[in-house]
Amino acid sequence: MSKDNLDIKDNNNLFKEERYVQQRENKKQFEAPCSEQETAEALAYSKSAEYMEKNFDRKSVVINPHKACQPLGSVMAALGFEKTLPFVHGSQGCNAYFRSHLSRHFKEPTPSVSSSMTEDAAVFGGMTNMIDGLENSIALYKPEMVAVCTTCMAEVIGDDLNSFIGNARIKGAIAEDFPVAFCNTPSFVGSHITGYDAMLKGILSYLYTRSGIQATPGSGEGTGEKLNVMLGFEPYTGNFAEMRKILNAFDTEYTILGDHSGNYDSPATGEYEYYYGGTKLEDVPLAANALGTLSLQKYTLKKTQEYISGTWKQEISALSTPLGIKGTDKLLETISEMTGLPIPASLTEERGRVVDALMDSHPYLHGKRVALVGDPDLLIGLIGLCLEIGMEPVHIVCSNGEVDFNDQKFKIEAEALLASSPYGSEATVHIGKDLWHMRSLLLTDPVDLAIGSSHLKFAAKDADVPLIRVGFPIFDRHHMHRYPIIGYQGTLNLLSLIVNTVLQQLDDNNSGFNFELVR
Amino acid sequence: MEPIRKDEIDAQECGSVTPKSKPCPRPKPGEAAGGCSFDGAQITLLPIMDAAHLVHGPIACAGNSWESRGTLTSGPSLSQYGFATDMNDTDIIFGGEKKLRDSINYIAERFAPPAIFVYATCVTALIGEDMDAVCKEAAERLAIPVIPVNSPGFVGSKNLGNRLAGEALLQYVIGTGEPEREISLGVNLIGEYNIAGEMWDIEKLMNSAGITLMSRITGDARYKEITWAHRAKVNMVVCSRALLGLAKEMESRYKIPYFEGSFYGAKETTYSLRQMAFLMNDREMERRVDRLTEREESRLIQDLRPYRKLLKGKKAVLYTGGVKSWSIISALKELGVQVVGVGTNKSTEDDVRRIADRVGDDTEYIPEGGASRIIKTVRERKADIMIAGGRNMYVAMKEQIPFIDINQERHKAYAGYEGLLRLAKELTYSLANPIWKLAASPAPWDKEDSYDH
Ligand code: SF4
Repeated sequence: MSKDNLDIKDNNNLFKEERYVQQRENKKQFEAPCSEQETAEALAYSKSAEYMEKNFDRKSVVINPHKACQPLGSVMAALGFEKTLPFVHGSQGCNAYFRSHLSRHFKEPTPSVSSSMTEDAAVFGGMTNMIDGLENSIALYKPEMVAVCTTCMAEVIGDDLNSFIGNARIKGAIAEDFPVAFCNTPSFVGSHITGYDAMLKGILSYLYTRSGIQATPGSGEGTGEKLNVMLGFEPYTGNFAEMRKILNAFDTEYTILGDHSGNYDSPATGEYEYYYGGTKLEDVPLAANALGTLSLQKYTLKKTQEYISGTWKQEISALSTPLGIKGTDKLLETISEMTGLPIPASLTEERGRVVDALMDSHPYLHGKRVALVGDPDLLIGLIGLCLEIGMEPVHIVCSNGEVDFNDQKFKIEAEALLASSPYGSEATVHIGKDLWHMRSLLLTDPVDLAIGSSHLKFAAKDADVPLIRVGFPIFDRHHMHRYPIIGYQGTLNLLSLIVNTVLQQLDDNNSGFNFELVR
Repeated sequence: MEPIRKDEIDAQECGSVTPKSKPCPRPKPGEAAGGCSFDGAQITLLPIMDAAHLVHGPIACAGNSWESRGTLTSGPSLSQYGFATDMNDTDIIFGGEKKLRDSINYIAERFAPPAIFVYATCVTALIGEDMDAVCKEAAERLAIPVIPVNSPGFVGSKNLGNRLAGEALLQYVIGTGEPEREISLGVNLIGEYNIAGEMWDIEKLMNSAGITLMSRITGDARYKEITWAHRAKVNMVVCSRALLGLAKEMESRYKIPYFEGSFYGAKETTYSLRQMAFLMNDREMERRVDRLTEREESRLIQDLRPYRKLLKGKKAVLYTGGVKSWSIISALKELGVQVVGVGTNKSTEDDVRRIADRVGDDTEYIPEGGASRIIKTVRERKADIMIAGGRNMYVAMKEQIPFIDINQERHKAYAGYEGLLRLAKELTYSLANPIWKLAASPAPWDKEDSYDH
């Protein structure tokens, strides 16, 4: 495009031009602006212990939340199954948010529909919307299963999903044998992870019950006797690939229950389909015959775990996100115990390489003070990794740490983990807190690095701390989710991300004499 | 192909303050619909950058939406904070009014905003929270405006939400303040939200013609400036049917004439500036506008030349949800791009009429959502590019269709003369990127015949 002789500036540069600067100055007259002194005082106050106390006393208002609602998780869970259309029963707006939220993170389309309830539905109930919605969506999007979840609206008016779906069949809006799984996901309790769990359990139990199969754990019928694996609310498509790599190295048979990586990492072939990949529907009842189930997000998957151990009578091994060397070691040992297979040499070798990499980088990371934000299972993994390489977790905020209601198990585990290492001695775990709390923490007790989702960028910027983007959602960086963060390989990826941020910072902040070539 | 609706304009439209029936088109159950009324109301009011915006409801509405709009600010950023009452199950049983009151108090004390907007959501509306009363009481006690926005998601579409937000402004904001000094010949811009900084380009143009921008409703606005919007000489409604009601009401209450216009494309921009000067009834200003627009247009023609050569005859499918389709069509036409398909999903009948005025007879109307429907049009009409909102972007990528984002998530400003230039550049870049060729050719080992580079 050499013809391009026009200099069209982007926002960053354009608005630095004199005329725009002028415009902004002019506008101050409407702002009743504070004087510079007042601004400085307010900033100083926000760094004071006094304000922090006030901030933490805050009960009523949430400022900059770090959790999404249940149905968002349900949509993700539904997309983990083959040709399944997520159906959000409620008014239309929620579904629009879920679609853009998930699409902005994965940079992929999100097929999901809503029953678009309106005032009439608020008064008379949402049955007509449900029936019409099922009929229309099946005709339009040709799924092989529909997975219905509720929004808070449907919950408040008390819509009965089971009977509505039944009525849709009676009325002939959907075929008698067309599978419609469902779950209740009020957004006034729990968070996206609770919703993921509810839908996963909903789908597993629905498909199992309807198949008429009687679970015979360990018989392996149809599954080659081995493992079920659940990754949970998983924002990294790369983690699915990494998990497969590990399981294949063991040479074991397995079924991943809920695999949305196909939908969220599909190739550009020139033809869009609504559905890519996912766990095969017929594999679900057969999974009841497996030896056991491995869960990689024990706090997220609580109900599903209970269901599998209760109804399928299977052994459950529930871990948190396996990252770091020890986290991955535990994963491999668990797989080995469950399957009776030895740990493959290739993985032992990989472990050695990653340990080597950690040693190479440790001088730059030792003693770095870190703030962490995320979902419970991810945080357990991240804390483990920090402690392993001598980084010191200081502030840990988990908005959805009371996994359901007032359960404090996560907090107890996180604190025990921190107490197990001298590097964890300064840490405090805050559950049910938001990013405005985190901002207070960052300002009153500064750290070197912040690790969390894109939402943390505002607080990190205020506190002038570099942010390493890990978790969900990541809206403002590309392709992070394509790289695994679990397993030895994932540990290496995270390590490079962290250490290179530190090194970049050294270069950026150099004062001349430490602008070095070799680090 | 969908017939164009030709029936008479219903005076009580989607955009009116008091609709007779339910005039805004509604989504069908079972479709992947767009945003709700709550969303629409928020979009309209969030660009009031120095105000606090508090969402009263469970975490859904706020947790999923905070800080995801591209409306830029030139100063205060309180509007970017996600405030929510985060109601839980006990609040729903026993009511969340106390929580709401405490939240308002906390925000007022800590952030000292000039005003607090409080949004109802599906749940708070359903359980019958008396938001108006809580807001009224708080406003009196705290001596700042606390404005209830009664636009819960289930009442309808995004458009309806825009309108309800307009009503809140009429009821609680406009007319409550006076400019500190005499502002002569001011124009209000209604329905321009400063996406990617577009407002700033428009303001620059107006200033060069000597027209004062009085109140921004609401792009990059400060609360105070909206309180004296009733002192303007002219209202311009910027391609937003939904806020027409606001302009109409201001006309009857305050005798401010209004017109509908757009800043997409040179022709529309020129028309809009002229219209402002004309309605202000100022000969001198009209002359200045003429000089300015002539100068800008002839410079633009020069600058566009290389782009026009590349864009001429290219075909586009436009799917913006309807509200601004017609004005974008004008802009595209000026660049030589032919619109072969256009979404009318959320368009009102008036919008459709305007679209029909601007496109040829064989343009396809896409009445309903669903990615496959849009893609089908692109394929059948052999379109070269798809112009749509962010949610459809990734579908276009899958289909290897060049794409540009035209909705509120976009990062480029397309308004005014310079904006048209940027649009031309974006279109060319998108069309000419080498990736499309690469993507369209299979891996070398999958090719039947050998090929030369
Ligand atoms: S539809 Fe209702 S619950 Fe959903 S986002 Fe809109 S206001 Fe909130």
